[in-house]
Amino acid sequence: MKKLIGKVTEEEKKEIQTLFERRNGLNELAKILTADNELLYEKLVKDIGETSLKFQGWWDRMAKQYNWERAENGNWEIDFESCDIYLVY
Amino acid sequence: MDLIKKSLEEWQGGIAKSITFIVTKDCQLACKYCYLVGKNAKERMSWDVAKKAIDYILSHEDEFKEESVVWDFIGGEPFLEIDLIDKICDYLKMEMFRLNHHWFNSYRFSFSTNGLNYHCEEVQNFIKKNINHLSIGITIDGTKQKHDLNRVYKGNDERGSYDDVVRNIPLWLEQFPNSSTKVTISSDDIPYIKESVVHLMDLGIHEVNINCVFEDVWKENDDKLFEQQLLELADHIIDNDLYKENTCSFFTEFIGKPLDKETDNQNWCGAGKMLSIDAAGNFYPCTRFAQYSLRDKDAWIIGNIHTGINKNLLRPFLTLDRCTQSTQECIDCEIASGCAWCQGENYDAADTSTVYQRSTAICKMHKARVRANNYYWNKLYNKLSNLNAL
Amino acid sequence: MMKYLVILLSDQSTSFCYYNSSDNIEENKLMPLETLRNAIKYAFMEDLFIQFVLPPFSLPKEYEDIITSTKASIIAPSSTSYKADVMVVDGFLELNNIEILKDVSYVLRTSKKDFFEHYEEITRRIVELSRLNIVLTDIEDFKEDDFILYKQILDEFACCVKDITLSGETIQLNILTDRLVENEMNNCNAGCKTITLAPDGQFYICPAFYYAKEQPVGNLENGLMIKNSHLYKLEYAPLCRECDAYQCKRCVYLNKRLTREVNTPSKEQCVVSHIERNASSFLLLSIREHIIFMPKTEIKEISYLDPFDNIKNK
Repeated sequence: MKKLIGKVTEEEKKEIQTLFERRNGLNELAKILTADNELLYEKLVKDIGETSLKFQGWWDRMAKQYNWERAENGNWEIDFESCDIYLVY
Repeated sequence: MDLIKKSLEEWQGGIAKSITFIVTKDCQLACKYCYLVGKNAKERMSWDVAKKAIDYILSHEDEFKEESVVWDFIGGEPFLEIDLIDKICDYLKMEMFRLNHHWFNSYRFSFSTNGLNYHCEEVQNFIKKNINHLSIGITIDGTKQKHDLNRVYKGNDERGSYDDVVRNIPLWLEQFPNSSTKVTISSDDIPYIKESVVHLMDLGIHEVNINCVFEDVWKENDDKLFEQQLLELADHIIDNDLYKENTCSFFTEFIGKPLDKETDNQNWCGAGKMLSIDAAGNFYPCTRFAQYSLRDKDAWIIGNIHTGINKNLLRPFLTLDRCTQSTQECIDCEIASGCAWCQGENYDAADTSTVYQRSTAICKMHKARVRANNYYWNKLYNKLSNLNAL
Repeated sequence: MMKYLVILLSDQSTSFCYYNSSDNIEENKLMPLETLRNAIKYAFMEDLFIQFVLPPFSLPKEYEDIITSTKASIIAPSSTSYKADVMVVDGFLELNNIEILKDVSYVLRTSKKDFFEHYEEITRRIVELSRLNIVLTDIEDFKEDDFILYKQILDEFACCVKDITLSGETIQLNILTDRLVENEMNNCNAGCKTITLAPDGQFYICPAFYYAKEQPVGNLENGLMIKNSHLYKLEYAPLCRECDAYQCKRCVYLNKRLTREVNTPSKEQCVVSHIERNASSFLLLSIREHIIFMPKTEIKEISYLDPFDNIKNK
């Protein structure tokens, strides 16, 4: 089930879109980067941690700010074109 | 109105830099309408050239300020060089990350392929590795008859390629469900337009981007035949409710209107805002300005991987506007909007060595398209309002 | 509409502009007499004003007779003894050695290096001149440091011209005073108002196009056939039609060489012209500190040196 529960501003959308894109980029980079490349590998591991925190931080902050509906075992989704927020459960 | 499917927005449309690697000038096919007059099996990009191009681009971040980037790979057939492409993409990812380049947060790898070796292991491994950053378009022209009319294998027997492409379509759509295809119409294709578009929609390709070639290929009465095909297509799409889940770019709601000289004066084509690199390491304002794309003119090289971009050679492209390159008839045209042009074809067809002379070969085809487009939208809205009244 | 016909009497006719007439010359070819007569006839029929461009050697008497009996202006190298309207001085060495004549316009062709080293020679001789056109023959090689130096030199020229003006004399120095008297673009206009006939009897957009072995644009027999002729007009030059560096040469030959398009100037040409424009403004304001001077002339303060930056940022 998917239910429309809110909307964020263009600026807020841009913030999470950048984090989303970065997270995807880091995940795909992780597939090709090995520990042999010590410096870059460490940088990657650190960045994955920081980006995940920022990513989760955005959802927590927005959920609080807009008081979004929650569901057990559900999760929220964003439509990057419309800025709409959905509850998927 | 949600009853009508909208075309998907282009990813980061207008704010992404498009950088094209011409990785090979070879192709398994010898399509009859192909504008690449100088295709050959010799000019393959080396890793050294690709790396130098990447190093130049990424080390000049202040000259490439666009928010996003589309790393585009074309040929010939790009997937013939999948090993090189894989190496390029890995290097790009690592370098964008290592340099803290702003494009690491917003990039795509884009491909236009004939689809023949889409299923092969190397291509599939590459897709799995980069799945979140890929845009892949497979070209299929429609029915077997229409596709095989033009898209034939190299060699003397002119064997059609339809069967070998169509078997890869389900896998492609499974991996990229919202994919679109690009169809090119030349004079001989006109009788097959309707059945071809319908066929593509039946295959599950819900977005069919289709356009007439810009070259001067049109024969007498082609516009009338074209219009008739589009009218039949319009009837089919509307009568069978295909508009709910499909789009065909021939029918675009806001085309065929006059354009204002001041406020609608921007150039149509993005040449100059893009960058292409060939196997020799030369830079071009668009692939259409590389020698293998040009019939009658010399290549328009704007620099190379060693000396960088000569910005003076980009100035004509970045100052181009619609009216300066158009004839008075085009400026005054009552149905000008949506009438496209290709800067490379303009250059190739011009009386002098200029990008400031707009080719008008497509004029009568645009007029036919506008009439059919008007019919499509009037008929569709008429149907929807009747349905609402029930 | 064409107004001027430049007639190159020889392959060695002096260059009065950016190009080098010594480039690509295979032989010392004089324009055949028959061609010269037909050229004058053509100019009369088309109502074009003739400008003869002479070589650095004496012409045969038949040529001199035709030239002296034809209403035209004459451009000649200063090394010759022709009575010319415009004398071309090639470099500072030549400038130091010539006797300046009143009522003659001088063109000084110089490289930027020589100009930067010897510009004080100009301030020294400027009072003797009624008009001097300075032509920098390698504008395309200007770099950021050169732009800065060029501005400093023009500001020095401005102080010198200000003093001359305040003393009641007048001097015309193209790169400084032309902008003061123009209220719209007044450029070279090659291919638009001016066309060149070369010794081979063919028309070229300007002499530079002939020496660069570009395609001719017609001949005396069939007339002018300039393809895409509109591109030589100001309205079809997106950068220039919005610009107010009215004194700019807007050299279509340099445009073609540096940007590949006759209607699109290079960055170097734009910046040099805007430094000149701004120096004209500085001169105007400097004189006005002392006297009422050209009250209707206004050169606005601008924040750019290359108008391309404005279009690019739109």
